[in-house]
Amino acid sequence: MLGELEQVVLLAVLRVGKDAYGVPVHDEIQTRAGRDLTLGTIYKTLTRLEDKGLVVSHIGEPTAARGGRRTRCYVVTAAGKRSLAATFKTLRHMAAGLDVGLEPT
Amino acid sequence: MTQDATRRVTHVCIRLLERSLRPDVAVHVAGDLAEQQERGALWTLRETLFALVHLHARPHTGDGLMSTFLADLRIAARLLRRSPAFAIVAVLTLGLAIGATTAIFSVIEPVLLRPLPYPDPERLTFVWERDRDGGRSNIGYATFRDVVDQSRTIERAAAIGSWQPTISGTGDPERVNGDRVSWTFFRTLGVHPALGRDFTASEDVPGSNQVVILSYGLWQRKYGGDPAIVGRTVSVNDGPMTVVGVMPASFDNVVSPGTQIWRALGYANQSFACRTCRHLRMLARIKPGVGMASAATELDQIHRRIEKQFPDQYASVGASVVSVQDQATLPFRPALLALSGAVVLVLLIAVANVVNLQLARAVRREEEFAIRTALGAARSRLLRQLITEGLLLATLGGAAGLLVARISIPILVGRLPQGMPRLAAIQLDVRALLAVAALVLVLAILMGLAPARSRRGDLGATLRSGRRLSSTGNHLTRAALVVGEVALAVMLLVSAGLVARSLVRLLAVDAGFDASHLLTLEVNSIGTKYPTNASVVAYHDRVRSAVAALPGVTSVAVANQLPLGGNADSYGVIDADNIPANPELAPNGDRYVVSPGYFSTMRVPILRGRTFTAAEAADTVNNVALVSAALADRMWPGQNPLGKRIVLGGPKGAPRTVIGVAGNVRHGGLDAATTLQWYTPEAQWLFADNQEVLVVRTSGDPAALANAVRRAIAAIDPAQPIVKIATMDQVIAMSTTQRHLALVLFGAFAVAALLLAVAGIYGVLAGSVAERTREIGVRSALGATPSDIVALVVGQGGRLAVAGIVFGLAGSFALTRFLRTLLFGIGPNDPVTLGGVVALLSLVTLAACLIPAMRAARVDPSWALRSE
Repeated sequence: MLGELEQVVLLAVLRVGKDAYGVPVHDEIQTRAGRDLTLGTIYKTLTRLEDKGLVVSHIGEPTAARGGRRTRCYVVTAAGKRSLAATFKTLRHMAAGLDVGLEPT
Repeated sequence: MTQDATRRVTHVCIRLLERSLRPDVAVHVAGDLAEQQERGALWTLRETLFALVHLHARPHTGDGLMSTFLADLRIAARLLRRSPAFAIVAVLTLGLAIGATTAIFSVIEPVLLRPLPYPDPERLTFVWERDRDGGRSNIGYATFRDVVDQSRTIERAAAIGSWQPTISGTGDPERVNGDRVSWTFFRTLGVHPALGRDFTASEDVPGSNQVVILSYGLWQRKYGGDPAIVGRTVSVNDGPMTVVGVMPASFDNVVSPGTQIWRALGYANQSFACRTCRHLRMLARIKPGVGMASAATELDQIHRRIEKQFPDQYASVGASVVSVQDQATLPFRPALLALSGAVVLVLLIAVANVVNLQLARAVRREEEFAIRTALGAARSRLLRQLITEGLLLATLGGAAGLLVARISIPILVGRLPQGMPRLAAIQLDVRALLAVAALVLVLAILMGLAPARSRRGDLGATLRSGRRLSSTGNHLTRAALVVGEVALAVMLLVSAGLVARSLVRLLAVDAGFDASHLLTLEVNSIGTKYPTNASVVAYHDRVRSAVAALPGVTSVAVANQLPLGGNADSYGVIDADNIPANPELAPNGDRYVVSPGYFSTMRVPILRGRTFTAAEAADTVNNVALVSAALADRMWPGQNPLGKRIVLGGPKGAPRTVIGVAGNVRHGGLDAATTLQWYTPEAQWLFADNQEVLVVRTSGDPAALANAVRRAIAAIDPAQPIVKIATMDQVIAMSTTQRHLALVLFGAFAVAALLLAVAGIYGVLAGSVAERTREIGVRSALGATPSDIVALVVGQGGRLAVAGIVFGLAGSFALTRFLRTLLFGIGPNDPVTLGGVVALLSLVTLAACLIPAMRAARVDPSWALRSE
């Protein structure tokens, strides 16, 4: 079962797709979820996810805007996708039949 | 903050963050932040700062050792905050000691140790005539020429004559310190003007020497740093002189500190360029490759040869060759070295005191450590914690010390004697600070380990017993530290006492005149208005009557120099009816060319005969003189000096009849060897003195009359500078400044040492009483009276004090002989000082013992027993 931040960040990495490093992931979360996470929080979460084998990272290209510094791009692993699916499944099972507005109608 | 500034700060922070992160995480995080910043996200700075703080506050994100250290540091800071009294005392003690040590060494290094700021300074030397008593004398120009011509070891040499010109034309007329120097002077030192050029050989001849070089300070102050100053004509002593150069600001003149202007010497064969006209100093640069010893031997031989050649013109025996470095620093060496010793003692006491405080704290922290060990903390971890605490204390102390040094160095420099070389080079010495910092680091480790040492016992036992273990090792260490502190304090107090008693003795010396109610100032009569002796005397007469007419003035006199005024103007005194083969061997007498009324104004007693009348003073044919009692004894032992005839200033002078004998005065200094004096009226002297001292006896406070006197003189000739206004008491104080400074510093160090030692004794006893509450309770329960308890505690403190005093006295016997040059009228083992210090320390330590003793006596036995 993934934590809330883990779910949000994993989903953001999936949504960004190619070149998913700190800044686009942050922006994706901000636009979609309206939450202004700090880069520190995002990287802490990503490090935890990488430790669990749910994402892998590789060093990307440097750009001028970054003062010539390279990026670290993340990709969700198969295990990551399975974890997300399992988490969603658990949530759906737990929510099934409850009449508190959780299921889309 | 503007957008741009924010941006720049952010970039700096990002770089900081990048550096403090592991390299493999650093780049992309910093890159992301930079990218955010580029997009104009305003919160980037906040986030970067947050990340920085966050990173350093969370040990596990940094590397292992560093993070443990940071964690330890946080704990240490928290602990210090929890015992603020301990923290403040420890940091203040360390700060004062480190600051004082840094300050003193910052002065000593440039003044005593640093090589002079010239190329190859070790080859620079002074060459003096060596007196029969081993003293050193200036030389005449003819001697200088001979030595330069004959020497094969001298590469370059220069003659230097003191010169105090009046500069006018720009602002008020002003007397400045200057030198007349051979054209080779700056070349000998190896320095060059920053503006314009150096003197040339053709300027160093009579008539062509109307050229001057200015110091950077004078150029800035008097001429506003005029870039076109070179070639300009300035008014010096009422005559035109051309400025040919300006020395750089960095030129540090060790030969004559404070010189503001140099003029080409221009001596050849004038009457004042003779062999016996000894008013020049000789500076020489020895050739490279020639040893200083062989140069000294050669110069000595040359001097001896010249002496043989002109046997009636020398009283000296050979040459005295003294390196410029030694010559400049010798007068200040003993006092500065004594001070550095004293400040090291203070530092030691401070260290002992802080270690002691740490030990006392360690006792109270036994339980804390026991609990931490019981919870699984490794010994090494506890040790590291303790060392970190010491390091924090030492760092705080070092920072406080830096502050103390920064504040005290300018104050110290302001109080140093002005003749001290290289004053301008004194600044906070980074090496001294680093050395002290290194010491502090060692100290930090010591302070950390000391409490750890006392933790060898069974930690479990501490916890189980529910009370503090008192470990003997700790007590012994603390007792030894206190004994050491008392001993060091004794040594400092003895030193301060000796210096103080010397000063009291010195000021009690009878100077031979009455210094109270005297105002002194220098009046000048320089320029074309005063061409002759008569015009100068007339000017002095007008000044005297104008000042005498002021209310509150009792009498006024003029003299070319004053006792204790710092001048050394003396002439040989020859019996006119018994001229010796070598007149140079005749006794030297201080020249006092005075106006009538000098003796009554100064209250120099007339022992025999009389002083001269106004009519005699104006008579230029029948010359008269008074001699001091010592001079009379020297010239005519056992005879009546009245009516004898003397010749002054060379055997060819006009004879003067001795009409009176005056009391001896202290001319060179209260602590200097006594000298001989002679007196003659102004109008009868060989030349006009256009720089004279006016001495005014007042009925009230002499300082209050200073402005009225100044106005009265300025009304007569506003073009003449009036300088050096001071009461005679101030003049005497000036002649003892070095001792005053030494006394103030020694006194401050001694008081600090005493306070620290007393605090140490108090701390040990208070801690011991607190620990022994139960034992004291048992004693009372078994019938000990309160006075028994007081005796017990006072006895414990007393033993420490006595041991400290004994060691301290032994140390004083060993060390105070280094103070000998600072002492006057007492020996280094002066019994009064030693007795006084012992009495003072006994009293103060007794007082320190009494407070814990009273507390112990008030221990309620039932409470002490129940509390277990």
